[in-house]
Amino acid sequence: MRDFNIIFAYELKTQLGKKTTRVTTLILVLVVVLLTFLPRIIGLFDSGGPPKAPETAFEQAGYVFADDALRQSLTPLLGSVPEDAVYPDRAALADALKAKDVGVGFVFTDDLRFETLYLDRPPESQTEQQMAALLTEAKKMRLMNEKGVSAEDLALIEGTRAEGFSTVLGRDRLNNMMLAMALMVLVYMVVLLYGNGVSTTIAREKDSRTMEILITSTRPASLIIGKVAASGVAAVVQFGLVVLAGVIGYKLNQDTYPEMLRAMLSGSLTAEYLAVYLFFSITGYVMYLFLFAALGSTVSKMEDVGSATALVQFLFIFAYIISTFAMNLPDSAISVIGSIVPLTSVMVMPLRSAMSTVPIGQIILAGALMLLFVVFFAFLSIKIYRWGSLNYGNKTRLGRIVREALRHE
Amino acid sequence: MKLDIQDIRKSFGDKEILHGITFSVNSGRAMGFLGRNGAGKSTTIRCLMDVFRPDSGRFLLDGQPFKPRSLRIGYLPEERGMYQKNEVLEQLVYFARLRGATRKDAVRSANEWVDAFELGEFKKKKLETLSKGNQQKIQIAQSFLNDPDILILDEPFSGLDPVNAQIFKDAVQRFVSEGRLVIFSSHQMGYVEEICDDVTLIHHGDILLSGSLDAIKREEGRDKLFLSALEPADAWLPALLQAFPGMTAQRTEDGAILDTGGQPLQGALLAYLSGQPVTIRSFGLYEPSLTAIFIRKAGDEHAGL
Repeated sequence: MRDFNIIFAYELKTQLGKKTTRVTTLILVLVVVLLTFLPRIIGLFDSGGPPKAPETAFEQAGYVFADDALRQSLTPLLGSVPEDAVYPDRAALADALKAKDVGVGFVFTDDLRFETLYLDRPPESQTEQQMAALLTEAKKMRLMNEKGVSAEDLALIEGTRAEGFSTVLGRDRLNNMMLAMALMVLVYMVVLLYGNGVSTTIAREKDSRTMEILITSTRPASLIIGKVAASGVAAVVQFGLVVLAGVIGYKLNQDTYPEMLRAMLSGSLTAEYLAVYLFFSITGYVMYLFLFAALGSTVSKMEDVGSATALVQFLFIFAYIISTFAMNLPDSAISVIGSIVPLTSVMVMPLRSAMSTVPIGQIILAGALMLLFVVFFAFLSIKIYRWGSLNYGNKTRLGRIVREALRHE
Repeated sequence: MKLDIQDIRKSFGDKEILHGITFSVNSGRAMGFLGRNGAGKSTTIRCLMDVFRPDSGRFLLDGQPFKPRSLRIGYLPEERGMYQKNEVLEQLVYFARLRGATRKDAVRSANEWVDAFELGEFKKKKLETLSKGNQQKIQIAQSFLNDPDILILDEPFSGLDPVNAQIFKDAVQRFVSEGRLVIFSSHQMGYVEEICDDVTLIHHGDILLSGSLDAIKREEGRDKLFLSALEPADAWLPALLQAFPGMTAQRTEDGAILDTGGQPLQGALLAYLSGQPVTIRSFGLYEPSLTAIFIRKAGDEHAGL
């Protein structure tokens, strides 16, 4: 235990003391804070009401009217329309567009029908919708005048809404989806980032032959468990700060968020869901760290780390794919199996329990299997680390490594 | 303390590297472990340190099983390694603590040895920023941490300049004089002769000789005399060998080593030489250098160090 504490403290200090760790954490915290303030920042530039039709003429627009009467009736809506912006027919307007004399063209057939002409249509263009809204509003006003309906009456009629509310007894998939996805991506990032970090650290120790001093000073179990624990805590500290920044930002700005977004962000934060998420993500993370640590000790050169850990990275990406599948079909056979098998349950079980009501028996079974696998992979990792400290040079197949590592005392 | 290495065998795959290594190391007497490249020195040391598990044989310390992790051992591996991207003092303290020192003692010991190697200004530097020679000194300092009872050093002189080699020699001699157990492997015979009381010579995984350096030298020089003259050996050696049948000679740069075959010829030789036109420069009992012994024992057909 004494050696574990020494190794844990040294590794943790080394990891958190790295400039890259500090800079990455700072950037992530700033990005998350900025995101939480985004609705408030947007609000500063927003007048607050519904989108209004332009009060002046559409910028650089050209017009063709079916007849003078139509032009007379629409001109008040369009604001000031210079004489040279009105073309006699569609062909003349098209030529003006091609010559880039105008940016957009409207051909009015009557007071509700029009055609919009573009030379090159920008992807975000709202011009057509704005014109349609403008014409619709104007037509409504004319009809109200003709029928003797006041603006107040119309507001009353349009404001009439039936009200209902829903009670979800299980999981509200719509509201839970966003947070569940965010948490899943967080686990994905942490496992790959810190998993590769652990395997690189161990490979570097082996490459620089520091491993020989270490294993003659203390037991391999203390070394591996100390390193994995330090990585675990470093990840919790680093991403805990990011999550904390997000929560504080959310609390400060939640009044500026649309109701739907608020519901999505807070929808799945039940104690039960958090317990499932924390258990499976933390134990799964530790299990993957042991795997990464073991594989890091099988290589003799730093440049071989990537190929050595490819298999476990592939496994983890596979778990990610299954979890995205479980998002849409949380109770399908694949999702159920994926949420119980430890290598995939790290991602699938939290997601499944956010999207569906998972039977408690399945959660307990998956949790027990996960704990068993953590212990097994810790044991295997220690054996492979010891094997790795004796073997330099030629690459050995993973199956043979496991056999030799287990046979070795 | 007495360390007994008893009948150690070790194979890699089908190839046996150590064929029953047996020798002893006593505290208070530095043991030089000698052998050519690939002779099995590092493998023996790694087996001793439990890096490799021997196939058979045992290591005993005062008759009890030798357990390196439960003893205060300073170990310098052949291929030294430390954390390149970590600070010098910080990692020395870490290694000392892993070997059982309290934080306070670890800090004291690390500071002491960094200062001893005149590297005080680099304590807060990352190891990778030091020159290769200074990195080597830090790695050697690592093995002296925590006041070890046993020092096991694999090729400690490799890469050291004469000044730092002297610092290292002084440190080793201090450990020896304090009655600790010291064993180190080396190719540098001059240093071994200077420091070691005992030597063990390994060759192709077998121990060729082991014991007191003085006794080995005496044994290797037994029945041999050394004669050096101002005149070249060609001028007097053939006549000498003719006058003393049964005696053989091996020419050297400045004379010849005469093997009397156990006959007490010293007086007769002197009497003979006094009547010859030879100007004797030196004449006496032959004591071979360690290099000569090494080459003769481990040289095979092409001796080269």
